[in-house]
Amino acid sequence: MTTEIKTNDTQWVAVFKGRLDTAAAVQTSEDVKPLLEVVNREIILDCTELDYISSSGLRIFLAIRKEAAEHGCKVIVRNLTADVRQVFIMTGFVSLFEIQ
Amino acid sequence: MKALDIHNQQILDEYTACLPVLQRMDSILQHVLQNVLDENGLAVTAVTTRIKTKESLAGKLARKGNKYSSLSDITDIIGARIVTFYTDDVDRIAAMVEQLFDIDWDNSVDKRRLHELDSFGYNSLHYICRLPQTMIYDSDRPLLNEIRFELQLRTNLQHAWASINHDTGYKSGVEIPREYVRQLNRLAGMLEMVDDEFSRIRTEINDYRRRVQQLVQNDKLDDVHLDGDTFNSYMQVKPFDRLNRRIAAINQAEIQEVPLDVYLRVFIALGCHTLGDVDRLCKKYEEDAYVLARYQLGNTDLDIIASSVGLQNICIVCILEQGGGKIGLTRLFNALNGENPQNALLAEQTYDQAMNLPFRNK
Repeated sequence: MTTEIKTNDTQWVAVFKGRLDTAAAVQTSEDVKPLLEVVNREIILDCTELDYISSSGLRIFLAIRKEAAEHGCKVIVRNLTADVRQVFIMTGFVSLFEIQ
Repeated sequence: MKALDIHNQQILDEYTACLPVLQRMDSILQHVLQNVLDENGLAVTAVTTRIKTKESLAGKLARKGNKYSSLSDITDIIGARIVTFYTDDVDRIAAMVEQLFDIDWDNSVDKRRLHELDSFGYNSLHYICRLPQTMIYDSDRPLLNEIRFELQLRTNLQHAWASINHDTGYKSGVEIPREYVRQLNRLAGMLEMVDDEFSRIRTEINDYRRRVQQLVQNDKLDDVHLDGDTFNSYMQVKPFDRLNRRIAAINQAEIQEVPLDVYLRVFIALGCHTLGDVDRLCKKYEEDAYVLARYQLGNTDLDIIASSVGLQNICIVCILEQGGGKIGLTRLFNALNGENPQNALLAEQTYDQAMNLPFRNK
């Protein structure tokens, strides 16, 4: 599992690759820490190559969403793969994030 | 501007010497006023404070001659103003102010009460106050409790009228013709009426909300038309908690609370006109919504769900049982997420997954 953070003038983008399961969650939580400090920007969670997400992964997404709301940021979850999309439907997380 | 005489120059020097105390008072005042409004949940348009500038004070002293014997005679060296949305709020804040500060009643004035029955004009409530020792005490700076300040309370409309009247009337320094004074005062009368109307409408809306909440609590949902307000009242009785708890129990999941107001337009699209319609629809599809969740979550170890999941599943089941198919589900996700191509994929996946469930064969 890898997480790459990119940024430009208007956006911060986190590119997730692999399986975001309980084992990977500790490192991913560290990797996304820069996103928790972002103010007044759009945050894109790019899931194009995210093969799986567990509850621990959902909690990381939630933490990003919570901090983003407090810092005036909008969070967009982009390009869900079929398996991850299924998790978002089953858990009702489709109502929590803007999904593109 | 003409030079001040020795007496007024002494008052101006006194002002300069007091400036640190004035700045501290100004800061305390801003903090205390904002705090009391926040604590009482009162939204206002503006809370402002200001210290009269040296130039402005010099101008006032020059205009008033020897009216003031010392700086403490001038009551508006520090001024604060609270501008409210509603005229009722002026009175609510007045009650708070009277408890917060030591009021100099001899110099405080309710301009709203000064008008004759047939006259209209400047409306505002002015208090002359001191900071009480219970609020702030500094033995090195007794002036903190001695210097008076002026606090004005008025509505948005009273503020607009006062500002425009000041701009057109006083600022030019030329007395304006009686005809224009009459026109401005006529407007003051109209704005007073508008202020009263805003307050009346707010009171009626609050009464309506209370009546709706009563009907919801007494289960008389067919009497309640479905709209944003009534849907919120319905949501306050948490009608989907039981279903969400059942779904959470499948994997001993925690429930993440999310706003559900976005579902109002879904229910309207599903043909609901009253809260009774919403309630019947939810009860009708609740069991199948649970079966769908059990089917989806049962084979996973997902132990976190959003509080929208019960309602989302009710809508999915309703759409599928009514033959809405993938198009109906896409519309549902469009309503929840905003239109984007991913919604068709969400719909297709949901549709395929629900294919084998018993309710599809009813």
